[in-house]
Amino acid sequence: MSAEASNPAATPTPCEDSQGDGRWMSQHVRFVSECKEREPDVVFVGDSLVQLMHQFGIWRQLFSPLHCLNFGIGGDATQHVLWRLSNGELDNISPKVVVLWVGTNNHGHTAEQIAGGIMEIVQLIHNKLPNAHTLVLGVLPRGRVPNPLRERNAEVNKLVQDALSSLSHASFFNVDPGFVLSDGSISHQDMYDYLHLTAHGYQAEKLRWYTKH
Amino acid sequence: MSGDDLNPAAVPQPVEDRQGDGRWMSQHTRFMQECKDGEPEVLFVGDSMVQLMKQYEIWKEMFSPLHALNFGLAGDTTCNVLWRLQNGELENIRPKVVVLWVGTNNHDHTAEQVAGGIVAIAQLLTNRLPKAKIVVLGLLPRGEQPNPLREKNAAVNRLLRSWLPRLGQTLFLDVSNEFIHSDGTISSQDMFDYLHLTPAGYNTLAKPLSDLLLQILEETPEERRASLV
Repeated sequence: MSAEASNPAATPTPCEDSQGDGRWMSQHVRFVSECKEREPDVVFVGDSLVQLMHQFGIWRQLFSPLHCLNFGIGGDATQHVLWRLSNGELDNISPKVVVLWVGTNNHGHTAEQIAGGIMEIVQLIHNKLPNAHTLVLGVLPRGRVPNPLRERNAEVNKLVQDALSSLSHASFFNVDPGFVLSDGSISHQDMYDYLHLTAHGYQAEKLRWYTKH
Repeated sequence: MSGDDLNPAAVPQPVEDRQGDGRWMSQHTRFMQECKDGEPEVLFVGDSMVQLMKQYEIWKEMFSPLHALNFGLAGDTTCNVLWRLQNGELENIRPKVVVLWVGTNNHDHTAEQVAGGIVAIAQLLTNRLPKAKIVVLGLLPRGEQPNPLREKNAAVNRLLRSWLPRLGQTLFLDVSNEFIHSDGTISSQDMFDYLHLTPAGYNTLAKPLSDLLLQILEETPEERRASLV
């Protein structure tokens, strides 16, 4: 795996406030204070696919809101999640499981760099929370028809799955129930913009959780 | 009001595929197909604020029953919506109402330019659909604390309030005040990222909007009586 200094995907980087309303930092600060107030068993960390998950009622059935925290921020890439977890979002808590779902927003990075970023996060979580298990979710396919990003995401999953196989404190979980249909397309019934999941898409994914546990 | 050719927010522009999976064009193509398949009474068009509404229960409960189509596309500016409407998303449909909600993503433009872009879209809609009512939704405040984008969006709303009546057929609905607490903050219970609405946040908007739409749709009592026979 690439050394931290030469892999931008594995270098903790906060998000710049380019729009002018400080929303990214507001969300990070909120998450840090939630760590002081709550005692979660499970923490979800990642991008919009994590963040939106908890807006859909079906997930409230799976994980009680009292015992899990959602630290997803839309648009985040691995380096942003790395920064957040290095700056307070793992402090004062001792969850049993950290669920990590990130990588699809790492535009401009290679699959190797993205996988390196994900593994850097896994290592950080293990350093801060030696008793927690990290569940890394596979990056989903995207785009209505086959395209380079699907190939990149599939390669990331392969590399991450390989790297995790030798670890006892972390494991890989493929939550894709088969979003890519036989003709290679993804349906808008599953991903309304061919990236973000509909309630139906999250439901299909939820079934994968049930078959695993 | 700025002339269209001087206002960059009123220049139609598609979104470039920078990420590499062509999702913007795929969505636009799908919307054009929906124009062929459906006979909507209500058309919603705009950015993610419109698009996300369709993902929650509120859409099924309040807007689907009105025979509504949703052409919201995340990230869109007034330029992008203008391009989509000029390039197929108004073909073969004759909705009675169009709900337009766009402008919060126009980061490169001033409040005057953004309001001008919204008016240009409303103008296009009244030209193409002379019998339709256009409901323009005010831009919501954003950010957890007071910040320049809140001021900008509020300025856009003030301009719309004074410019839209000149168009006729156009109504303005602004629920911005419902979201700002006495200490000036916006709650994550209403906007999970201080921009996008939660299901609870949409409920605040949905009731007055739904009431307004029902009022407009009921304005043609002859057609309504005929459809009940």
